[in-house]
Amino acid sequence: MIPDFEYGFYVWTSYAVFALVIGWQIIQPLARRRRILAELREELALETGEYDDPDS
Amino acid sequence: MIWKTLKVGFHRLGSPPTFYRISALISPWLWAGFALCTAIGLYYALYVVPPDYQQSDSYRILFIHVPSAWQAMAGYLVMAILAAIALVWRIRTTEIMAMMCAPIGAAFTVICLLTGSLWGRPMWGTWWAWDARLTSMLVLLFIYLGIMGLYAAFEDRRKGARVACILVLVGVVNIPIIHFSVEWWTTLHQGSTIRFFGESTMHPSMMPPLVWMTVAVKLMFGAVLLDRSRNELLEQDRRKGWVRQAFGGDA
Repeated sequence: MIPDFEYGFYVWTSYAVFALVIGWQIIQPLARRRRILAELREELALETGEYDDPDS
Repeated sequence: MIWKTLKVGFHRLGSPPTFYRISALISPWLWAGFALCTAIGLYYALYVVPPDYQQSDSYRILFIHVPSAWQAMAGYLVMAILAAIALVWRIRTTEIMAMMCAPIGAAFTVICLLTGSLWGRPMWGTWWAWDARLTSMLVLLFIYLGIMGLYAAFEDRRKGARVACILVLVGVVNIPIIHFSVEWWTTLHQGSTIRFFGESTMHPSMMPPLVWMTVAVKLMFGAVLLDRSRNELLEQDRRKGWVRQAFGGDA
C-alpha cells in the first residue's frame, strides 16, 4: 500500500512537511473562529445579564 | 450600464455583511475542489508516475515543491493587487484580504524552502546554498513575515493595514528577481523546466500530478484566504450591528 521509494526518507519527510503546513492552514482559521464566537457569546451574555460565571 | 452594474456590484462586495455571506458560500466549494484535486494529484505523484532515470524517486518531491513555489509567488501578486486596490479605494474588506494573504503565502514559502532543501540534500549533496534563487526565495519569506509583523504592530488595524500595504507594493520588486534569478545569475538551482511559451523540458507523463497539485494549492489558497478574512472581519466588527444581528441568536 505505502510505496517503497528510493530516497524514501527525503520524499516522505517532504510530504509530511506539506501535510503539516497545510493542516495548520486548515486548523488555524477553524480554531480562531471558535475562539471569536465564544468571546462574542460571552460579551452578548454579559450585556443581557445572562452571563453564567464559571468561577463563581 | 454594464459598467455601472459592475461598479455597484464591486462596492457591494466590499460591504462586510455581503462579503461575509458570499465568502461563506464559496469557501466550502473551494475546499471540496482542493480535496479532490489533491487526492488525484497525490495518487498520480505517488503511485502512477514512474521513477526518473537519473533522480529516481526523489523527483516526486517536486510535485509539492513546484506548486508551492508558484503559489508563494502568485499569492504575493494577489496580495499586491489587493493592496493597490485597498490603498486607492480604501475598501476595508480588500485591506483585510491583502493582509490575510501574507500568512498563507509565508506557509507556501516555508513548504517550498523545506522541500527544496530535502530534495537538494540527496541530489546536490547539500541542504542549502546561497544561490540567487534560494536566497531570493528566503527574502520572500522575510518580506511575508515583515508584512505580518507590521500589520500586527499597530493597535489601529486600519492604519497597520495601510502601512503594510505600502510594504507589500515595495516588496513586489522581489518577484521578478526570484523568477529571473536562474537566468540572470549562475545558480545551483536549475532553470525553468515548465514553460508556458515554448517547449517544456519535463516528460509529458510527469505533467498530470504537477497540474493537479498546482490547481489544488490555488483552490486552497482561495479557501484559506476567505476563511481567514471572514475571521478578521468578525474580530474587527464584533461590536457592530451586523455581527450582533447575525450572531445574536446562535452565538
